[in-house]
Amino acid sequence: MSTKDSRFNRVAARVGLNTDDVWPSVVRERLLAYGLLLLYVIVIWFPIYYIFITSLKTQSEVLTIPITFVPQEPTAQNYIDIFRNRPFEAYTINSLIVASTTTVICVTLGTMTGYTFSRHNFLGNKALLLSIVAARMIPPIALIVPFFQIMSSPPLIGGLTGNLTDTRVALILTYTFFNLPFAVWIMKNYFDGVPRSLDEQAKVDGCSTWEAFVKIVLPVAKPGIAATAILAFIFSWNEFIFALVLTRSEASQTLPIAVSLFVADDFVDWSHLAAGGMIAALPGILFGLFFQRYIVSGLTQGAVKE
Amino acid sequence: METTEKSLRRTLDRLFVPLTVGPTLIWIAAIIVYPTVRLLWSSLFWMNPLTRETEFVGLRNFKRLLLDPSGTLGVLNPSFIAFTKNTIIYVGCSVTFSFLLGLGIALLLNKDLKGRGWFRTAVIVPWILPYVMSGLMWRWMFEAKNGAINGLLVQTGLISEKIAFLSDGTLAMMTLIIADIWVFTPFIVIILLAGLQNVPEQLYDAAEVDGASRWSRFRNVTYPFLKPSILVALTIRIIFDIRALDLVWVMTKGGPGKSTEVWASWLYRTSMEFQRTGEGAALGVIMLAVTFAIVAILYSIFGGTPYDS
Repeated sequence: MSTKDSRFNRVAARVGLNTDDVWPSVVRERLLAYGLLLLYVIVIWFPIYYIFITSLKTQSEVLTIPITFVPQEPTAQNYIDIFRNRPFEAYTINSLIVASTTTVICVTLGTMTGYTFSRHNFLGNKALLLSIVAARMIPPIALIVPFFQIMSSPPLIGGLTGNLTDTRVALILTYTFFNLPFAVWIMKNYFDGVPRSLDEQAKVDGCSTWEAFVKIVLPVAKPGIAATAILAFIFSWNEFIFALVLTRSEASQTLPIAVSLFVADDFVDWSHLAAGGMIAALPGILFGLFFQRYIVSGLTQGAVKE
Repeated sequence: METTEKSLRRTLDRLFVPLTVGPTLIWIAAIIVYPTVRLLWSSLFWMNPLTRETEFVGLRNFKRLLLDPSGTLGVLNPSFIAFTKNTIIYVGCSVTFSFLLGLGIALLLNKDLKGRGWFRTAVIVPWILPYVMSGLMWRWMFEAKNGAINGLLVQTGLISEKIAFLSDGTLAMMTLIIADIWVFTPFIVIILLAGLQNVPEQLYDAAEVDGASRWSRFRNVTYPFLKPSILVALTIRIIFDIRALDLVWVMTKGGPGKSTEVWASWLYRTSMEFQRTGEGAALGVIMLAVTFAIVAILYSIFGGTPYDS
């Protein structure tokens, strides 16, 4: 870590600055880190800024040349239009119902199963856990054919449900495919970090296994549950491929599909697309700003090895 | 009364494991195992799209995908070669660049800076947005006539003619890769940042005292502890990129021509647009096999723990 021959100093010397005593190396490193991070953040946020201002521009301004990087007459008209002229209300409701139902199912099952994997040795638990991890590696896209066939005529329950394509139920069932193994895995890792003495003490105090789990351990596991719920919600909210395969009409189409519908073969309605895109991106941005800690911990828990 | 309640509680306790694991297993069997078995099954059949009648054809679907249509022995199907090449370029470039970038950002964020949390949030957001929106956003950025990139380049005088990014095969692939890097770098940052927390501070201090160079500190102190995280980040990135259709579909639809057609879009087109479900399923089986092979290879390269004895 000699500071004499650092590139910064060489450059500084060339322009006749003597920075040796003014800038200790630690400060210089910090400034450099700040500079690089700031540059990176500006570069990656520029497209988000640009799609945002596109959503506030009039249609004519979107097509004017030279391009404006600040909207000349910002308007909310695009947002009003998509809710008035297109069934965006239905799309938003579909997205909300599908994402929240999937989240509830995955968090409930994932929490129970994750806890048992963490605490109990039962027959074949290693093999089961391994297969749950392996299930996460299956490329969902490889399964569009079977899922399409299954949802068109569901086996066993088909007599009750009939054809499930173009229903929210089909999307909910399909989305548990990505999220349930993930939820089990995150929760198991989370419970592994909760001391066993907690449940044992509860049982000594006369709690049943169920009571120890529900009353004592669950409250402690709230952060893990929050992380699982947020990730499951985001994954379901953003999913596109299966929605593309399994939906036909506004009865079940979700926001990602709605946004892609603005693209026609020869023409894209950019200002309205941008408004729709901002609506679709809203939960993600809000979650990112307020629950970043949970997203990070959930992803990390979900990715760690043994 | 007392006794029945007690016995009920005892019964419930005895059934704790089956009651907590059972529903999940049944669910997974229905929604993961069954479709996967059905995929293997479908890949051996040909289905008439009109009458929905199926016919057992053995490995013919695989032959059609992999081998030259003329049936010459040992010659691969040119489409298969082309789309595989596109997939390798797309996945290879995206993963390499987003990994290097993510590593750099993670190392910067690992420093003890004020406002680190704020930076972390700002860095993570692209990954949380719907991929469809990100894809269309980049398509808008790179648009030939009114796109922001052309606008910036022309209005600052860097280029005189606007570039039609999405009408040229190579450039279209480049825009796809840029969008992919933009979307997935945050994921790498999160995973590696978590790994960097495992490096003991004292080791850094010791290395500093020894006067180790920056590179040697990374090589000998950081890297061994970061290895498991690198393995996880690379594995997940690669298998996710092979399957990723969202960006390709909304940005280029595999075009112009077939220059950005990757396995995922080929599979979707075969199954859904051409209704050749047997071949689509066969391609799905190939993808599944390749995914598991890649995971196995990565684990054999990076497997093991820091300072394995």
